[in-house]
Amino acid sequence: MSVNGAFMRQAGAILAKDLKTEWRAREVFTSMFVFTVLVVVVFQFTIGSNPALIREVAAGVLWVALLFATVIGLQRAVQMEGEEDCLQGVLLAVQDRSALFLAKALANMIYLLVVAGCILPLFALWFRVDLTASLPDLGVILALGIVGLSVLGTLFSLIVLNIRMREVMLPLLFLPVSVPLLIASVYATGDLIDGKTLADIRDYVILITVFDVVFLVLAVLIFDYVVEE
Amino acid sequence: MKNFWYLFSAYTIIWTALWAYVVYLSQANRALKQDIEALRAQLDNVIAANDASKEGGV
Amino acid sequence: MAGGEKNGRPVNFWPGWYAMLTYVAMVAALWCIFVYAPTEKAQGIVQRIFYFHVSSAMTMFVAFFAVFVASIIYLWKHADWWDQTAMSAAELGVLFCTLVLITGPIWGRPIWGVWWTWDPTLTLTLVLWLIYVAYLMLRADATDPRRARFAAILGIVGFIDVPLIRWSIEKWRNLHPDPVIVQSGGTTGLPPAMMLTFLVSLTAFLLLFVFLLRQRMAIARRRHELEVLRYKVDEALFG
Repeated sequence: MSVNGAFMRQAGAILAKDLKTEWRAREVFTSMFVFTVLVVVVFQFTIGSNPALIREVAAGVLWVALLFATVIGLQRAVQMEGEEDCLQGVLLAVQDRSALFLAKALANMIYLLVVAGCILPLFALWFRVDLTASLPDLGVILALGIVGLSVLGTLFSLIVLNIRMREVMLPLLFLPVSVPLLIASVYATGDLIDGKTLADIRDYVILITVFDVVFLVLAVLIFDYVVEE
Repeated sequence: MKNFWYLFSAYTIIWTALWAYVVYLSQANRALKQDIEALRAQLDNVIAANDASKEGGV
Repeated sequence: MAGGEKNGRPVNFWPGWYAMLTYVAMVAALWCIFVYAPTEKAQGIVQRIFYFHVSSAMTMFVAFFAVFVASIIYLWKHADWWDQTAMSAAELGVLFCTLVLITGPIWGRPIWGVWWTWDPTLTLTLVLWLIYVAYLMLRADATDPRRARFAAILGIVGFIDVPLIRWSIEKWRNLHPDPVIVQSGGTTGLPPAMMLTFLVSLTAFLLLFVFLLRQRMAIARRRHELEVLRYKVDEALFG
């Protein structure tokens, strides 16, 4: 692939089209957000009212909610592509297919970031954690983690696009492979809630970054094989 | 012989599983081989019948 | 089964001596484990599970590595043979992975006092099991050529994920020490007799792996052949 003007323009055009469609319908975002709220609330009920315990599991609940939101969002996106069969049209139009991958991953990343932004106040409120001090650091971890979730999730969602049991197969493929990202993000977030700074959790930041870079490079390298006819 | 049953069950499970898999493989292989031979014979017959009917037509 | 030829095609290029060799190696491994190897002092006789447990684990990694390599070559060359290799190796990998996951707790129960601990290697094995079971599900019907390609991608992604999983689990483990340790069971610095026994077991397992791999690939090849034949018969019957 070549990262040049045409490539970026194509990726930008697909992304703009997707975001415009989403802006009109708000289907993907709404399902992701409502689902995230639901996960956080359901976990509240199962944990009970012990404040120490709630604080302990808060980071885990946040990331499980985001992980499921990724799956929900991608499933909805895949379903819409399947209904309108527009992927083939887009594929014919772009010269570099990696542009399509990049656009899809970026779209998912934007939805997830917005969902994370909306859920954080509710999360802080319900789990009684004060996030004001650690907000910039938390933003970095959330952004890095969301990049990994989107890259890997988009790759798998485009793989399952054409198979029969796609609704089931997406989480089955995606969840185990995302284990390293999940572990690192949960413990990084937990440490930040406990008042540590990014410098204290360098190991986790490195792990998440390595995960993001490895799978981004791999996805761009092998994406042509996913869509090839 | 403390913990004998742990040792015994571990090796029994391994051997049973490997044995079952080998049996499964050889049975599947044999069944496939028979199917292929039957199908190949059928194909020869069909081709022969087709040739015969063509010749009869001319 | 002896090797032979039919209609110019190798029906079974499977040398009988190889099966014999595998068999002898397996018996030799058993003899070493139960007769030759000394009983470990701290753990007692359950330590003998170690030989097959670790051999299974290593064979599992060899299998998943084979999936990885075969998947890359398949994406590159598009030859069915590599796809069949990847699929067969994945199935065997899951088989050995299952054996590791079963024998691990059986060994751990008398040593650690619990059936399961989130020991890094055991946890890694569990995650790998989940990934490769998904792989097998993804390609449950192998007829769609696109599905073979998707499976190849998962084969690559899954294996690249291994060091990352290992790394993250180790970080996570620092926060969760072992619940109960009845006896500490170390396997490093094996005495020579134990090391030899282990090497014999490992050799036997690797021979067995290659044996099973070729058997499994013969099935994959025959299934393919069967499909081609069915298609030909249909064509001959109905034009």
